[in-house]
Amino acid sequence: MEHVRRSRTAAHALGRRRALTTPVAAGALVRLLTEHLSADLRDLWTDADTVEFTIDGARALDVLTTLRDDDDFAFFMLADAAAVDYGPNEHFEVVYHLFSWKHPAWLRVRARVDRAEPRLPTITGLWEGAMFHEREMYDMMGIVFDGNRDLRRIYMSPDYRSFPHRKDFVLPDDAADSAAAGVNPLERPETWDLTRFRDAPGVTFAASELREDAPAEAVEDGETLADQSRPR
Amino acid sequence: MTTIDRDTRIPDPIELDRAEEERLRAAAGLGPVRTERGEYAGFDQVGIPDRPPQTEREREVYSLDEGEMLVNMGPQHPSTHGVMRLVVKVRGEIIVDIDPVLGYLHRGIEKLCENATYTTVLTYVDPMDYLSTMHNEHAPAIAFEKLYGIEPPRRAEYIRALVVELNRIFSHGLMMGFLALDMGGLTPILYAFINRDEIVDMLSAISGQRMLFNFFRVGGVNFDTNDEFLSRLGTWRSRVMKNIEMNEHMITDNEIFRARTIGMGTLTGQEAISLGVTGPNLRASGVPFDVRRAHPYSIYRELEFDVITQESGDSYARYLQRIAEIKQSIHLIDQIIDRMPHGPVQAQVPGIIRPKPGRAYAAVESPRGLYSVYSISDGGPNPYRFRMRDPSFISLQAVPKVMPGKLVADTMAVMASFDPVMGGVDK
Repeated sequence: MEHVRRSRTAAHALGRRRALTTPVAAGALVRLLTEHLSADLRDLWTDADTVEFTIDGARALDVLTTLRDDDDFAFFMLADAAAVDYGPNEHFEVVYHLFSWKHPAWLRVRARVDRAEPRLPTITGLWEGAMFHEREMYDMMGIVFDGNRDLRRIYMSPDYRSFPHRKDFVLPDDAADSAAAGVNPLERPETWDLTRFRDAPGVTFAASELREDAPAEAVEDGETLADQSRPR
Repeated sequence: MTTIDRDTRIPDPIELDRAEEERLRAAAGLGPVRTERGEYAGFDQVGIPDRPPQTEREREVYSLDEGEMLVNMGPQHPSTHGVMRLVVKVRGEIIVDIDPVLGYLHRGIEKLCENATYTTVLTYVDPMDYLSTMHNEHAPAIAFEKLYGIEPPRRAEYIRALVVELNRIFSHGLMMGFLALDMGGLTPILYAFINRDEIVDMLSAISGQRMLFNFFRVGGVNFDTNDEFLSRLGTWRSRVMKNIEMNEHMITDNEIFRARTIGMGTLTGQEAISLGVTGPNLRASGVPFDVRRAHPYSIYRELEFDVITQESGDSYARYLQRIAEIKQSIHLIDQIIDRMPHGPVQAQVPGIIRPKPGRAYAAVESPRGLYSVYSISDGGPNPYRFRMRDPSFISLQAVPKVMPGKLVADTMAVMASFDPVMGGVDK
C-alpha cells in the first residue's frame, strides 16, 4: 500500500492544466469550410481535436451532403447525431459528429432548430443508420425529421405523449414532491398512509396495510381519514 | 386399410397446416389469419392492442401478402442477448422482414446523468453496456478531462489502456461463446466464461468490483496496480494463448459452425458505413476504421499495432475478426506492461468539479465499435447535457438489412455475430 499513498501525495504536481482552445492541426479544414460553406457557416470554433460550426436547421441536409460528397471534405462517416435542449425559452440543437480520413479532427455540425416548430430535413438518405438516431431524437426531444419514413417512438411506448429529455419535462410525481417545490415526501404523513387509496378504482390492499386504528369518533362530518392525517 | 394408388394426391403439408390453423381459429372465434395481398394486418397479429400504423415503414411491416405471417421473437427469448423483441415477418421458414422493438430496458441514463455530478456520472454509465464497462467509463472520463482542462498522469493512462484491453479480450471471448451457443454449441460458452472469470478476478483485484468496475476517475484511475492483480495477470498471460487456441480449434473448423456462418449476414463495406456499423463488425467488412488509429486517444499513439480487417463481411469474418483482435489486444498488453512508467495514478481533482462552460466530444473503440460521449457544461456541478452513442444500438439496424431471404433459425446466429448488448442498446 505504500506506493499508493506515495502516489497520492505526489499527484498534485501532475494535474497539469491545459488550455481549452489550443489551435487545432486542422487549419486546412477551417480554410476549406470558409471557402465552400461561407453562406451557411456561423460561429466557427476549434479545440484540440474538434472543429465545430453552427448552421440553420433547414440547411442541415444540404450542408451535410456537401460535407459527405465533396472530395475535399469526404466526411464519409456519421459518428453521432444527438439533440440538445437549451431550455424552454431557447432553441433546440441537433448535433452531428462526422469523421473523414482527410482531416485529423472531428467535425461537429450544430444545426439550430426553432423550439416552437422543431422541424429538420432527414439525413436518412445520406446515412441509412441515421434512422435510429432520428427516431431517438424524436422520441426523447420531439424533433420532427421531414422525409423520414419511420419516425415513431423507439424507447417509449407508442401511446406515450411526452418528450422526456426536454428540459421542461418533469415527472408527474416530481411536480408535487420535488425538493424544488420545498417538499420532502417522507415528511408528509399521507405518503405513509395507504387509506387514501382505499376507494380508488381497481386498487385492493391487504387489510394489514390499511391503517384502521384511527378512532371513528375522531372523524368529523365530511372529513376523510386522509384529510385527518394531513398536517394542520 | 386405405389403399393408395399412384394417382392419389398427397396433400402438401403446408396446406394441411393451413387448413388446421383456420379450423382452430374459427373455433376460437378469430378471423382468418391470412389476408388479401398486401393488406394491413394490424397489431393483434403480435399480441398487442390494435391501432393504425404510424409510419410508412410500420404499414409495410404489418401488411401481409398471401402466405406471410408475423411472429414475435422475444422479449423473453433466451438468445436475444437481453430483453428485446423482434417482429419477424415470415413466409414459411423464410424471413421476409424484421422490425426490432426496443425499450424494454430503457432506464433514461442520459437524463439521470444530467442530474448527477461529473464524478458520479462515471458510476451511472457502468450498467449500460455491461460487457464493456471499462470502455463505458473511459469515454466520459476523457470528455470530462477535456472540459475541465486536466490531463491524467502517465501511469494512469497506461493502467487505463491495460484494463480496457483486458475488458476487450473477455468481451470478444464471450462473443465467440455466445455465437456458438446460438447455434446449439454449449461447450464454447463454458470455456469462454472460464476465461472471462480469470480476467474478471484480475480486474476485481485492481478495482474492487466484479462486474461494474467503477474504476475510472476524472483525472486518473481509482487505484494503482497491486500484487494480486499483477500475479493474476502473469498467470493469465502465461496460458491465455493456449486457452484461446483451444477455443479456436473447437469452433473455427467446426463443420456446422462454418455452414451456418460462411455467407450469412453479409455486409459490404459501403452498406456497413451507411448503416453506422462500427468496430469489429465494420472491419470485418474490410473498412480499416479503428478509433484507436483514426483518432488516437490515451496512449494508443505510442503503441504498435495494425488495424486488422477481413474481406468477406459475413458472420464468419466477424468471428475471425474477434479472434484476431483478442490476439492483438494481448500484443498491446505486452507492450503496455513493458513500457508502464512509475508515478502517481490520479491527478488532484476535487470531488465536485465545475468545468467552465463548453462542449467536449470523446470517442473510444469499445468491443462493439465507436462509443462516444458528447458532454455540455454550463459551469455547474453536473453536465447540462450528457449524450452517449452506443455502438450496439446503431449496429442493430444491420440485422433487418441482412436477414431477408434467410431462415428463421439463423436470425439469432446472425444477430449474435454483431454482438449487441441490450443494456447498451436501450440505455
